[in-house]
Amino acid sequence: MQLAVNIVVLSAIYALIACGYVLIYRVSRVLNLAHGELMMLGAYLLLTTASLFGGNPWMAIGAALVLSLVVGVLVYVLLMRKMTGEMVLAAVLTTVALGILLRGVMVLIWSAQQQYPGQALGFSNPALVLPGGARISLMAALLVGVTAATYLGLFIFLRFGRWGVRMRAAGQNPLLAAQRGINLHAIYALAWGLSTFTGSIAGMLMALDSGLTSSMMIIGLKAFPAALVGGLDSLVGALIGAAIIGASEVLSIQYIDPLLSDVIPFLVLIVMLVLRPWGLFGTREELDRV
Amino acid sequence: MSEANLLTVDKLEVVYHRAVTAVQGISLKVARGQIVAVLGTNGAGKSTTLRAISGFLGIDDARVTDGTIVFDGRRIENRSPNEITRLGIALVPERDKVFPNLTVAENLAAPFARGGPGEDAIYGIFPRLADLRGRTAGLLSGGERQMLAIASALMCGPQLLLVDELSLGLAPVAVEDLMQRLLQIRNDLGITILIVEQSAAAALQIAEYGYVLENGRVVLDGDAERLRNHDDIREFYLGQSVNRERRSYRDVKQYRRSRRWYG
Repeated sequence: MQLAVNIVVLSAIYALIACGYVLIYRVSRVLNLAHGELMMLGAYLLLTTASLFGGNPWMAIGAALVLSLVVGVLVYVLLMRKMTGEMVLAAVLTTVALGILLRGVMVLIWSAQQQYPGQALGFSNPALVLPGGARISLMAALLVGVTAATYLGLFIFLRFGRWGVRMRAAGQNPLLAAQRGINLHAIYALAWGLSTFTGSIAGMLMALDSGLTSSMMIIGLKAFPAALVGGLDSLVGALIGAAIIGASEVLSIQYIDPLLSDVIPFLVLIVMLVLRPWGLFGTREELDRV
Repeated sequence: MSEANLLTVDKLEVVYHRAVTAVQGISLKVARGQIVAVLGTNGAGKSTTLRAISGFLGIDDARVTDGTIVFDGRRIENRSPNEITRLGIALVPERDKVFPNLTVAENLAAPFARGGPGEDAIYGIFPRLADLRGRTAGLLSGGERQMLAIASALMCGPQLLLVDELSLGLAPVAVEDLMQRLLQIRNDLGITILIVEQSAAAALQIAEYGYVLENGRVVLDGDAERLRNHDDIREFYLGQSVNRERRSYRDVKQYRRSRRWYG
């Protein structure tokens, strides 16, 4: 039972991060390899707002969430917008450079030491005992719930929201979308904002659960195989990809060797790329674009 | 015609890759509420002209290097496509005209609508689309897809509808039906239409005025009636030889055609 809980929690973490990769790829065909760093930046923003609004934790969380959304939009407006119309590879390499830059800046500002925004906010993180005797921390349980709510929200937004439909339209045929009066820059900025927002939620919840260090972005990198295994342009795929990666990792830690935890996601990714390069829910047509 | 012109293209010159001139000094006028046809064979510069009007040139590394495009009193050359759409021009492109993974209803919901006719009016013109509103657009037939493309362009609330090669790949019956819908759109919604066609027979059915383009230049223009009766149009576009001898447009040497047009 504990094993199942661990799988669900780890899968939820990967799924919450992976949807950010999918959102940006789906509308602009760009792989955002700075997503892990942006997620970590969200967690550090919470650390800062926690010290600013120490007496009001919800205000601190709200401010950090709004800031993360703004950061995502600014990354597009100030950096990625210039890449519009250029080769996708150039845009991807820009995100790599952004990631390296953010990592350095974050260490300079917040240091590389382990920090606990939960303490600064006065949150406790008790372990909950589930039926069957399995234990889960409050923040981990919250993370599972937030992941479910995020996916439900994204599904409703993309399926029924006018801007969500426009995002899907822009992802399918940007030229036609522009011709239909849709402002592509607004759509891309929205995708970057939402992606950084959801990634930051994951970063904040992980930081509240187990503290924050500069190595958190590795988890973001491990969520990338989850998105790729799912097919990169499918949210359902990201969810299932995250479950596959999460289960493989937890089971290998349990039954083989804990040292494999950082290797397994990429091992699964390689197997998937050999067997089905377009992922579980991606289409063959997408492969050309990758 | 001059006071009531919705669109005026004057001495337009378009250059691809800073080297190839595709349109060389084209001038044309579209009066409010009129249906105007631009005819010509492949490479005549029809689609380039349409792309210049709708702002799509930048994508192909092309630019308007000379001349002006004035729409509703405003210069619009080299503006972005979404800006031009919001000013009141909507294009029904030749290819990739619908979002294939969206449903019919979603295709109609996606456009940025400013004063559009609304879904009910659209379904009134294309009742077939109302029956198909839940169907994925990629699964529609060619004719249905063309209907959806026109309907989705109308959702942008245009004053001017640009239609590129409506007849391409469609059965004559379907083309006939779509041409009648265009006429209905003009009559019921008051939308001005500029249609670019290789099929002169189809376009001259509904157009009131026409331009013939060749090698990036206007070689002939006039009322639809005059064009329909013009020997060269009858021979090369309508397949009705004045000598009772059916000849293809391609059978005639280029220099001779030019001489005839200009003469």
